[in-house]
Amino acid sequence: MTTSTQEQARLVPTPAPESPDDSTRGAWRLVMQREIVTRVMNKAFVIGLVTSLVVIAALAAFFAWQANRVDTSTVAVSGADSAAVAAATSAGEVAAAEGGNTEVEVLETADADAARAALESGDADAWLHPGDDGWVLAGQGEPGGDLQRYVSTAVEQQVVAANAEAAGTSVAELSAGAELTTEALEPDAVGEQALFFATFALSFLFFAGAITSGNMIASSVVEEKQSRLVEIIATAVPLRQLLAGKILGSSVIAVGQNLLFAGVGMVAVSASPVSMALPALSTSLIWFVVFFAVGFLALAALYAVAGALASRAEDLQYTATPMTFLVMGVYFVTFTASGTFLTVLSYVPIASVVAMPARILSGDAAWWEPVIALVLLAAFAAVALLVSERAFRGSLLQTGGRISWRQALRPQG
Amino acid sequence: MSTLEVRDLTRTFGDLRAVDGVSFAARGGMLTGFVGSNGAGKTSTMRMMMGVLAATSGEVLFDGAPVTRADRRTFGYMPEERGLYPKQPALDQLVYLARLRGIPAATARAEALEHLERLGLGERARDHVEKLSLGNQQRVQITAALMGRPRALILDEPFSGLDPTAVDDMVDLLRQHTARGVPVLFSSHQLDLVERLCERLVILRGGRVVADGTPAELQETGTLRHRLVLDGDAGWVRGVPGVHAVDVDGPTALLELADDAAAQRLLATALERGAVRELSPVRPSLAQIYREVTS
Repeated sequence: MTTSTQEQARLVPTPAPESPDDSTRGAWRLVMQREIVTRVMNKAFVIGLVTSLVVIAALAAFFAWQANRVDTSTVAVSGADSAAVAAATSAGEVAAAEGGNTEVEVLETADADAARAALESGDADAWLHPGDDGWVLAGQGEPGGDLQRYVSTAVEQQVVAANAEAAGTSVAELSAGAELTTEALEPDAVGEQALFFATFALSFLFFAGAITSGNMIASSVVEEKQSRLVEIIATAVPLRQLLAGKILGSSVIAVGQNLLFAGVGMVAVSASPVSMALPALSTSLIWFVVFFAVGFLALAALYAVAGALASRAEDLQYTATPMTFLVMGVYFVTFTASGTFLTVLSYVPIASVVAMPARILSGDAAWWEPVIALVLLAAFAAVALLVSERAFRGSLLQTGGRISWRQALRPQG
Repeated sequence: MSTLEVRDLTRTFGDLRAVDGVSFAARGGMLTGFVGSNGAGKTSTMRMMMGVLAATSGEVLFDGAPVTRADRRTFGYMPEERGLYPKQPALDQLVYLARLRGIPAATARAEALEHLERLGLGERARDHVEKLSLGNQQRVQITAALMGRPRALILDEPFSGLDPTAVDDMVDLLRQHTARGVPVLFSSHQLDLVERLCERLVILRGGRVVADGTPAELQETGTLRHRLVLDGDAGWVRGVPGVHAVDVDGPTALLELADDAAAQRLLATALERGAVRELSPVRPSLAQIYREVTS
């Protein structure tokens, strides 16, 4: 008897769930946690993420290197020719004053023949010497463009100075009032090219985040549907909780991934010559993340329905097609749009996720514009969530073949 | 002892009445077998009992009261054509599914480990499910249904694809739950298994209950047959009025007798012709009853 009682106790170790946690209100947290954990533990996901980060960092490093690389051009001159030495030295000063990537070094040789030999042997990149009519800058081929510019400026200054002196005046007098200084009204404003790249980067962040995380939620839904696990889950918690957990879980992954990419991108920008664009860029990025987080709620809900409409993983390529078109459409349209069209897009939900931050970056959006666009986006997300929740419940437990939106939204009978 | 009962349960899909006024009870402490051919309505009935499919009409009662969502949360359920999360360890998903049903994480974990160890899967608790054999995946699936001392079990084809040893293991597990007074309803198309295991069975055909009772009760409703064994050839029995020969094989015949007069007539004739070695009633097998009620 004792044995059988012990046996009984050993076999069924759990205390009777007379009063288990009756509330199902917190179930979404369990679902969300599982979505995040399985995603983060997924090798393919981690490899993809690390690869993307490495590519972003490598591209950034390449551009930074490209931008900061210093080319040293050596100009050979005959040491005997003081005018040539002065011209070459002055070209070096011009280069240094401009702060570009080309540095000019002067190589003084014994005579003109030695200077020529230095050019021929490759010890020098160019040979500056007086010609029949002015100066000659010789190279193995055509001398480098920057070098040509510096030398020509230096030579010109020298000649003008000499001519001015001969005419009894000075360069300063001759050029009085001709000085052009530049002034930027918005010193932070982003150059046009940088703006294009930044907009493209935003479009791409949107596209990559929406497609990967959207498909993640769709396949996670169909996985449960195909394996009928959803029937077990449905008897344990309301489907609304399941949907909420899945949407929030994939949103956390999508937003987290974008923050990571954006962070690496910002570090790269701060190390590059366009670092002065950093404040404008970060404002725009913060808005982007906020817009993306709200917009992705709607996308995730719609993707979840795409999963619920399918019966097998293979059906997803059909049921998720409208979503793929939507996301790709937003991607292509936003990074090519400009002017009034871009302004309109910046208010259209989902497109506004990219278009409004792009306008903020270019500086032509008033402070209230993103606020209104965000309210519109949030309203759209709310409607999408409501409709999706209904379609999700209407299709998730239906088996056999693909289900249409119409069937999914039909009142249950 | 709890009772899970369905009353007049009906489900139509368009013009098709998949389940048509089904009523029966799965009593506490008993294994109730749910039998019927494909499309007879077993799965639809079980899905309605679990609230996964909406009933067109009729009701599901637990201990006499309409079953609630909270009740169902305490039921163990194995859907048909089921699977698991292929890329998650067995232990993790058992804990997850149990926690969704409100079982605390630590309790769920201890119980899942205990179950897996008893099923010989203790070593593999942390392996991804896709790496387990189909039989072992099935063991994990049934464990999912048995977690947290369920108050009723509804199992759709729990034994399909299992080898005999695994079936015995699972039956042992189920017996522990009937011993607690829990009603267990399971569907199967393996009639021999159902006959061997069930205290009670319900046979469905075309969405209707065509038989419901203990195996002994059902056998009584089946046509009683008699076996006759003679010394010589039994071919002549075909000519006796009131006797229907189901099968004659040399000296042995399997017969259906119209009434007692026919039996006496048969016996008298047989004795005139020679020795009678045996005349005995044959209990109809479940397979025979099943064929009778479903044809």
